[in-house]
Amino acid sequence: MSMFSMQKGTRKNERRLLLLVLAFGVLLLGNITSAQIYLPKSPPEPSEYGKVILDNYSTAGPGAVVFDHWLHRSKFTCRVCHVDVGFAMEAKATGISASTNRQGFHCGACHDGKKLFEGKPIFAACSDAANDQQCDRCHSLGKKGVRKYEYRKFTAKFPKGIYAVNWEAAEKSGVIKPVDFVEGLSVKKAPMQSREDFALKAGYSWVHPIDFSHEKHSIWNGCELCHPEIFPSAPKGTIHFSMFSNIEGRYCGACHGKVAFPLNNCRGCHGGAPLWAP
Amino acid sequence: MFNAKFKATIVTVLLFIGLVGLCSVRAMGGPQSSAAQAEPAKETWQKEFDDVCSKTQDAMTFSQKELTDLIRRCDALQPQIEKLDESRKKVYMGRLRKCRGLYVYVLDAKRNEKK
Repeated sequence: MSMFSMQKGTRKNERRLLLLVLAFGVLLLGNITSAQIYLPKSPPEPSEYGKVILDNYSTAGPGAVVFDHWLHRSKFTCRVCHVDVGFAMEAKATGISASTNRQGFHCGACHDGKKLFEGKPIFAACSDAANDQQCDRCHSLGKKGVRKYEYRKFTAKFPKGIYAVNWEAAEKSGVIKPVDFVEGLSVKKAPMQSREDFALKAGYSWVHPIDFSHEKHSIWNGCELCHPEIFPSAPKGTIHFSMFSNIEGRYCGACHGKVAFPLNNCRGCHGGAPLWAP
Repeated sequence: MFNAKFKATIVTVLLFIGLVGLCSVRAMGGPQSSAAQAEPAKETWQKEFDDVCSKTQDAMTFSQKELTDLIRRCDALQPQIEKLDESRKKVYMGRLRKCRGLYVYVLDAKRNEKK
């Protein structure tokens, strides 16, 4: 074999090696990117968690509304607002306006200046008689010092979990007593019989099973908030509640990762799993 | 003399306890109208809605026949709710959808159980 043909062979091998390294790099980058997409995002500061900015119509007038879930969930169940009052679970789907509030719908279902909570009248939302200071209690985006409640102070006595308030413990210990009834809207119901808790086997051997408590969930949500719109009817084992779909906001992700404890809190659902996934 | 004074004290104490009890019951409850006792008369469709959708908590205990009947009653309510003004219609259609959906869900679950 001549010197020339030997050199030619080595160059060919070098090129092949280079191509292999490049292909490997591209695959690795792809994997990292997809893993980034399918890992739960780190939640914001607890005071910001579950914050909703309502700017359908109000940006031009008194400014956008800042709604803090932590304040209202300390007083009401999820069900009473998302079923009886009719707040949608998706952004911009409810159609809240000053006019609907004044008619006694949406915020105005409770904030009508007449209904009492803990013996005190609840201030009226979007009342014609309201002054700027009253409007700013809700229309507070970008305004400093206008909110009545501050997260740290408000939740100081609530039990805490790894991330923020442990709402389940707060409810169980009686620190909070979420109300499930709004007069004039809610229907009187018999107390709920506790539903069976169950374990959901994970699809992979390395994933810890899920200890699902119907009892804990139904205190906040009743039945109709979850079934069938979030968890539809299907024969057992035909729907796979993957973390991918949860991260995309479906199934458990309809609440967990938005308002209920974040998906990073692995042990919140998977007993025996790491406490927190960064 | 002592008896009359004693009776008056007892009556005052009982009245005070009753008043405190009434106030605490009001304070413990959810948002209530200040004119709670004078509840406005409900329209026929709303009475039916309240009756049908007050049973969601017990959906699992109903037979397939009972669930089918509740679904039929939900369907009968739909055209009446559609006639309401926009805001009311939106709220009550959403509630009816959830209520009916749950009954259908439980009915399906029961049918799947039998298979």
